[in-house]
Amino acid sequence: MDARETLRMAGRSIRSHKLRSALTVIGVVIGIASVVTFASVGASVEADIVSEVGSSSASNVYVLPTPAGEGDDGPGFGGVSQPVFTEHDVKQLEKTKGVRQVLPRGNVRVSALTHANDTVSRNQITATTPASFPQDAIVAGRAFRSGAREAVVSRSARQAFESNLSVGDTLSIETEDGNATTVDVVGVVNRTAGQLPFASFAGQPRFYVPTDPFYERTLESPAVGASQRAYPQLTVVADPARVSTVKGSVQNYLAGSDAAELKPESVELTAQTSGDFVEEIQDIVGQVTRFVTAIAVIALVVAAIGIANIMLVSVAERTREIGIMKAVGARNRDVMGLFLAEATVLGAVGAVVGLPLGIAVSYGATVYAEVAFTPAYGWFVIAVAVGILVGVVAGLYPAWRAARVDPIDALRYE
Amino acid sequence: MSSTAGTSSADDSVVRLADVRKTYDLGGTVEALAGVSLALAAGSYTAVMGPSGSGKSTLLNLVGALDTPTEGRVTVADHDVGTDSEAERAGIRGTEIGFVFQTFNLMPRLDATENVALPLLFDDWSRERRRERARELLSLVGLGDRRDHRPNELSGGQRQRVAIARALAPDPAVVLADEPTGNIDTETGAEIMGLLDDVNARGNTVLLVTHERAIAEHADRIVHIRDGTIESIESLDGAGRDA
Repeated sequence: MDARETLRMAGRSIRSHKLRSALTVIGVVIGIASVVTFASVGASVEADIVSEVGSSSASNVYVLPTPAGEGDDGPGFGGVSQPVFTEHDVKQLEKTKGVRQVLPRGNVRVSALTHANDTVSRNQITATTPASFPQDAIVAGRAFRSGAREAVVSRSARQAFESNLSVGDTLSIETEDGNATTVDVVGVVNRTAGQLPFASFAGQPRFYVPTDPFYERTLESPAVGASQRAYPQLTVVADPARVSTVKGSVQNYLAGSDAAELKPESVELTAQTSGDFVEEIQDIVGQVTRFVTAIAVIALVVAAIGIANIMLVSVAERTREIGIMKAVGARNRDVMGLFLAEATVLGAVGAVVGLPLGIAVSYGATVYAEVAFTPAYGWFVIAVAVGILVGVVAGLYPAWRAARVDPIDALRYE
Repeated sequence: MSSTAGTSSADDSVVRLADVRKTYDLGGTVEALAGVSLALAAGSYTAVMGPSGSGKSTLLNLVGALDTPTEGRVTVADHDVGTDSEAERAGIRGTEIGFVFQTFNLMPRLDATENVALPLLFDDWSRERRRERARELLSLVGLGDRRDHRPNELSGGQRQRVAIARALAPDPAVVLADEPTGNIDTETGAEIMGLLDDVNARGNTVLLVTHERAIAEHADRIVHIRDGTIESIESLDGAGRDA
């Protein structure tokens, strides 16, 4: 019996038990749709993060102290806020080939911010240099000047007070010891050049002031022998074409830097590109995606059991028919083929229905999560192949049982 | 212990059983056939009679290539039924043997045409040729107007007619009828026997298994089986048949 006739016969048996077949197929549909959904959502989230990072900070090398001995998983994001990088380090790094700018970054401890008689409690604001605000990041106004009592705020900071904060307003900064300083708000920005790759995800209000005069943490530079400002984090903005070279040069410099001498034993200095962060994020998202998808695979296994179960019932019910077919010339392999085809069609139909359903659900999920939809095409192919495979595997044993039916017994079977 | 009967050495025999033994291992050894030799000449009409347990079902299963002999040799149209190859035996069943069962044994989801064409499906006939052959045979058995009906839409007699048409589909060497009137009323049974007589008259070899004397008398000869051996062979010379 040729393949077309086998399929035709299998199709008839499936149609003759519409409800039973539909329920079995639904199992496969759920399994395939879950796998496709989780894989697609995972791929979309990953792609979204990568594009976010890539667009804003691809040429940044982040220099920060991290806890030592974190193993092979990479340094992670867990920096320690230890001011170790001196002005001397900043200057030396600026001289490194391929480096465009070095942006120091530190926190100024405060107790509250006041604007137009509305006081907001706040622990810290960010001190950095004017180069942190490239022209395309400025939404309104301009960058602050070094040495001036001026501030730049993030867009969301404009709504931090009862009355909107805008360029030209004044802001009162109350320090921990109770002294208040008034600064002019001169600019609003949507990002900073030195921000960490994922900072833009958290649209928190941020306030920036110049390191001079606001940043006061100092250490004695071993290289210079004088007291200098010291920062917990530097962002090295590299020539986009030489990011990895710059990363190497920065690492080389760090070994002999002031920071290397000033840092505690438990801390090591790391230089990471945003690519490193992206890889780390991809690793984490990938692991989560694989884990969740593996759970979805359980649904597929359950679907396979469903097919196997229904096929076994089918073999038992049709024992007599198998006997008839054998009596009129069906070989074992013809009978096996018929039942295998039936199981395979159930799996394939499930896959074909489950795939678009999974795509639709994952699309919906990405829209809901406000993430760009990135279809995981590889998984689509795998899902359909797995659906068919599930049918074949689930059908093997029942089909083998069918093929082994003894026609003499089967024809006597009522 | 072997009984030799018929024209076992004749060249025109389509079915030959030579000293066939069949034993089953059911706890102890049960001898269903204890040395049977029989030959069916082409175009002959033979009935097998015997009480239940006599071995007539076993004989039928062997001639029908559903089973293999423990000893001896069974051939149908020169094919050895004792072959180890299941596929080969399936091939013999599909092309050389036409079964007619007491319980009709039609495929419930296939219509009359498809049921008749079923043996041809496994013999890789094209769809068109299968349909053509099936329609031809359904007309022959008087069901030309019932060919799209499923078995549950047909009467017992009609179902058996479909089964006879199916048996004839591959133009088999022998038609095996196992109590063909056992599940239908007497009147319809007579029609079915008339049809089988016609089938034989058209040149088909028929082997009929029954426990009813009146039915057996449609044949040319009656082989009486008891305890796994042939007790006697009664020649009727067409005496029991309608003129």
